[in-house]
Amino acid sequence: MAEKMVRVLIGCITFLIVALLFSILGVMLLKGLPAMHAGFLFEESRDFGRAGGVYYQSIGTLILMGVAVLWSLPVALGSVLFQTEYLDTGKLKTFLTQLTYILNATPTILFGLVGYLLFGVYLDTGVSWVTGSLILAVMILPTLQVSIREAVEALPEKYREAGMALGLSRPTQIWRIILPQSFYGIVTGVFLGLARAAGETAAIMFTATTFSGIQFPQSFSDPVPTLQTHILVLAQEASNPESIAQAWGAGLVLLGLVFLLTLTAWAFRARVVMESEL
Amino acid sequence: MIQFKNFVAAFGGRKVIRALTFNLPANSITAIIGASGSGKTTLLRALCRMNDRVKNFRVEGNVLIDGMDIYRPDTDVYALRRNVGLVFQKPCVFPKSIFDNAVFGVKEKMHRKEYPDLVEKVLREVFLWEEVKDRLGEKATTLSQGQQQRLTLARTLAVGPQVLLMDEPTSSLDPKSTAAIEKLVQSLKSRHTILWVTHQHDQAHSIADKVLIIENGQIAPFETPVARPEQSSSFTRVLQNVQEYPE
Repeated sequence: MAEKMVRVLIGCITFLIVALLFSILGVMLLKGLPAMHAGFLFEESRDFGRAGGVYYQSIGTLILMGVAVLWSLPVALGSVLFQTEYLDTGKLKTFLTQLTYILNATPTILFGLVGYLLFGVYLDTGVSWVTGSLILAVMILPTLQVSIREAVEALPEKYREAGMALGLSRPTQIWRIILPQSFYGIVTGVFLGLARAAGETAAIMFTATTFSGIQFPQSFSDPVPTLQTHILVLAQEASNPESIAQAWGAGLVLLGLVFLLTLTAWAFRARVVMESEL
Repeated sequence: MIQFKNFVAAFGGRKVIRALTFNLPANSITAIIGASGSGKTTLLRALCRMNDRVKNFRVEGNVLIDGMDIYRPDTDVYALRRNVGLVFQKPCVFPKSIFDNAVFGVKEKMHRKEYPDLVEKVLREVFLWEEVKDRLGEKATTLSQGQQQRLTLARTLAVGPQVLLMDEPTSSLDPKSTAAIEKLVQSLKSRHTILWVTHQHDQAHSIADKVLIIENGQIAPFETPVARPEQSSSFTRVLQNVQEYPE
């Protein structure tokens, strides 16, 4: 009887979570689809975002995400390999893992604030896509690191032992065994990191983006328009139905992008599980 | 020649090998038999320093291979492991082709053009060439367990070790594959010093020149095997009616 109650309770909670997700999706589709038109993805926004599409905003978001991953991936990969392949003391490993979780739990507005103070005030670099991508890189570092570490740690120990027994040095083992066998896990981490970066607004608001007047960045010190800032600014014009409709449309594009990245990450994660079961 | 001098291997305060002193002659097969937990595998792994990464693992005394102490601080551990090959209980092939597996340990050491000859040579040595020569590009995981074990042995041989350590290499194999490995090891004796760990007395006596018994981390007086047909390996007996293995 008690077991049945627990099962029902857990089932209800699961249903609530799924219902919540689908209701968000449903609302996004209902509100966002009317704004969609043939050129929404490929047209420049006009009339301060009240008309046109989100072409440059999408490109700006992709630039920030992609460059952030380029900064973050080598650091995440290096720190994971250091922890898993070179560190022998459990305490230091645990300490570094906890640090990662703390970094992950840090409110994102703080990243924006610190980034603004460091780059904007002290270094006087202004608002630019390079600054924004650096801040995003720090933010997505824990996501990438956790995902890559899971993949590396899931690698059966027998592969490492077989490599050791053949007299392969640690760098060779990393290059020939660890990285190829963890490839899908690393790619999963990259996509999850991209998805995390795509959903971020606060951190880049101060440091990387402006709402209007820019298209492609022409130099390292130029800002970029992003979907996140676009939505934020348009949503503040609650009295204007055109702005709100455009904001929902941009929101749907952003959600679609995050979903696409997450689904791709899932697909790669499935490969990781298969590889680790070999 | 391999010499153990008052060799102790311990995990923290727990001594697994206790003050071991004995010699293993070169170009011979020595079998070590003992119950589970008696220290057989620890002894093998200590010989190629595979436990270096294990927390709390420590050694005392000396292990000498051709007069060189392998636990000297300036020992090149990677060179040692290339010289002392270890074959595991369960075959571990990489999810790559048969060809790639065979040359996995030597890829940085030799030119790509030399790979095919080496692959053929080592696969012939382990009597696998005829079975796989037409499908070298296939994944090694498609091979049977016995074939995979011979492939891992070929992969080890490709590195050119002087000493071969075999950690119960037939325990997960069927009788035919077991016989193939036993025969193979006999054929390798002239070029390698082989240490074979097993818990099967019959097998140890049938293949080895010397049999050592390890109990609680200590070597008991060993006996010279008597090659009598009735003492031959159970697997070998099973195979008396089995057709001679290819090659």
